[in-house]
Amino acid sequence: MSGGERVLVAMSGGVDSSVAAALLKEAGHDLVGVTLHLWDASGGHAVGRCCAPEDREDARRTCDHLGIPHYVLDERRAFRERVVDPFVAGYLAGTTPSPCVHCNQEVKLGRLLEIARDLGATRVATGHYARITRDASNAIRLHRGHDREKDQSYFLYGVPLDVLDRCMFPLGELRKGQTREEGRRLGVPNWDKKDSQELCFVPDGDVGGFIERETGVARTGEVVDASGEVLGHHDGVYRFTVGQRRGLGIGGGAPPRYVLKILPDEDRVVVGDVEDLAALTAHAQHAVWTGASPAEPFEAEVQVRYRHRAAPARVTPTPEGFAIAFHEPARAIAPGQAAVVYRGDQVIGGGLLAV
Amino acid sequence: MSVYLDHHAATPLAPEVVEAMTEARAAAWANPSSAHAAGRAARRWIEEARARVASAIGARPADVVFTSGGTEACNLGVLGIAARRVLTTSVEHPAVAEAIAEAIASRGVEVVTVDVPRGVAPARLPLDGVDLVCVQWVNHETGARLPVERWVAECRDAGVPVFVDACQALGKLEIDVTALGASAVAFAASKIGGPLGAGALWIARDTAVASRALGGAQERGRRAGSPDPVALAGFGVAASHLGRRLAAMPAVAARRDRLEAALLEHGEVNGEGPRVGTVTNVAVRGWNGARLVAALDVEGVMTSHGAACSSGVDAPSAVVQAMYPDEAERAESALRLSLGPSTTDDDLDAAIDAIERVVSRRRT
Repeated sequence: MSGGERVLVAMSGGVDSSVAAALLKEAGHDLVGVTLHLWDASGGHAVGRCCAPEDREDARRTCDHLGIPHYVLDERRAFRERVVDPFVAGYLAGTTPSPCVHCNQEVKLGRLLEIARDLGATRVATGHYARITRDASNAIRLHRGHDREKDQSYFLYGVPLDVLDRCMFPLGELRKGQTREEGRRLGVPNWDKKDSQELCFVPDGDVGGFIERETGVARTGEVVDASGEVLGHHDGVYRFTVGQRRGLGIGGGAPPRYVLKILPDEDRVVVGDVEDLAALTAHAQHAVWTGASPAEPFEAEVQVRYRHRAAPARVTPTPEGFAIAFHEPARAIAPGQAAVVYRGDQVIGGGLLAV
Repeated sequence: MSVYLDHHAATPLAPEVVEAMTEARAAAWANPSSAHAAGRAARRWIEEARARVASAIGARPADVVFTSGGTEACNLGVLGIAARRVLTTSVEHPAVAEAIAEAIASRGVEVVTVDVPRGVAPARLPLDGVDLVCVQWVNHETGARLPVERWVAECRDAGVPVFVDACQALGKLEIDVTALGASAVAFAASKIGGPLGAGALWIARDTAVASRALGGAQERGRRAGSPDPVALAGFGVAASHLGRRLAAMPAVAARRDRLEAALLEHGEVNGEGPRVGTVTNVAVRGWNGARLVAALDVEGVMTSHGAACSSGVDAPSAVVQAMYPDEAERAESALRLSLGPSTTDDDLDAAIDAIERVVSRRRT
């Protein structure tokens, strides 16, 4: 598959996409580097995040090093409309949105493929840790990356198969350490750059502060237990996610309390014990399946947040999406997060957890 | 195959320019302000360049202040002349527009902005209470030719000083700064076959310009810092060939017209007033300009979207936006193709082919 075919490689300025590009270059592909400008960096935390000027420069430096063209293209409007605005609305509605899911599904890969067509490229490569395979009937399948710590298939479940069909994930079989080693071997300028941990548009991790800056509103309310007894006060329901333990403002010697429920209309956060957090069932909406939509219930493993080990469950298709019945109680099922259905390493489908 | 159609951003160096710069690099390395033989040798290159540039623009050498380029010359012209109420246009280069914004922010200067709808500038200026006019002669993005001669005459009658940004005018229009009668005029070497890093501000003898840079009395106290003899040697030689460049303009304009005719199938020309013959700016239907520039570059055709900028982020063309405030898609889809005397018919054929190839990707 080398030579001839032009490949658009998405460059964030981070190590992963840089090494992905370097590996493809080494394999002889005709590459064009593209950095999507998704969000304007502001304030003093501009380094090590998506779309900071330093990251664009790193992307450009890597492309210069590889001897490939590099373009920065403005997709700020799409990112705001399809990722940031729904993210803010989701938090205000008491859910915990999955912006990376929406970005990959609705902005990044689809948009990159469209850009690729405009640039005369047939494929899009990224530094995602996930694998695209074909089964015996030549059907496209999405699998976890070999590095389970870095695996990003959770964020990719919603990418349509015809898009995946034209994607390449050169890091899917590498571990992060190997990626850095390859980067060093290939002379990638930023091979030892620090990984970004936070959401690219909330680099300081202060989601509550971000939402207040975006909306100009600041809400306060009560922290209550299941019986309605007021245990404390909070400064905004959007600062909480189901399963959260820290920052509840009800310290002291009491046993640890966890967020069980967020009631945005009443500005209330309901807390309880760890046992109350566990649930056997959940519902997902907006289901996307990687093959034919299942008609019958089936056994699979379901992952309900990025840092969750997929748990065995019975998945039952419903008109709105699917019902999940875990074999063992699962903790911290937060509405708005993605529920991704796996069979082993293979992504079967997914949806968004309902309230 | 590679075709360069971005002459409004920077022009390829003429061979004589490269030759002069190579020679200067070896001979003129010393500090031109130094009181010794090596310094004098460097200074001689600079003064030779000054004489050549002055001669090319109809000026006395003593009135030519060298700068690091067009941007610095514009900054110096705008901010070096004291003013309380500045008149400008809505289509200026950022080197002028942002200098005026700085004067507003730091000095409380008031500004009057004259619109240039669809690239057509008004014949007369509203000079009421204005004590400085800052206008460009030729627009960098569309090539619109503003009626600067008429405006300067009007300002002279009213006793209002005028700074003229002639960076894009030099080499495209006959320029005689003495006959023009402005207060200060900015030029850039990189638009006439000279190198980046060299520019000039011509300053009328009756105009006081305060130095912006601090740290030396170079350029008669009007621009601190040692000038670069190598870049200026290139500027001087490029200026001395200005006649040749001007003589080529009718042929350049004919090629521009041919290129533009081929593009009309895909969009509309931005700007309908008088303009120079080196550029066409087209709103390409259904395309984003930055993406089109990238697609054409991959095909070996070098073009631009808005003004060249080092940030690496594309922004819709501010000039086209100002010319068509109610048609946002024009600015977003603007493609600027700019030609020079070195542009050949083969270049045009290749460029037209590439444009057809790229645009057709959206039809399938």
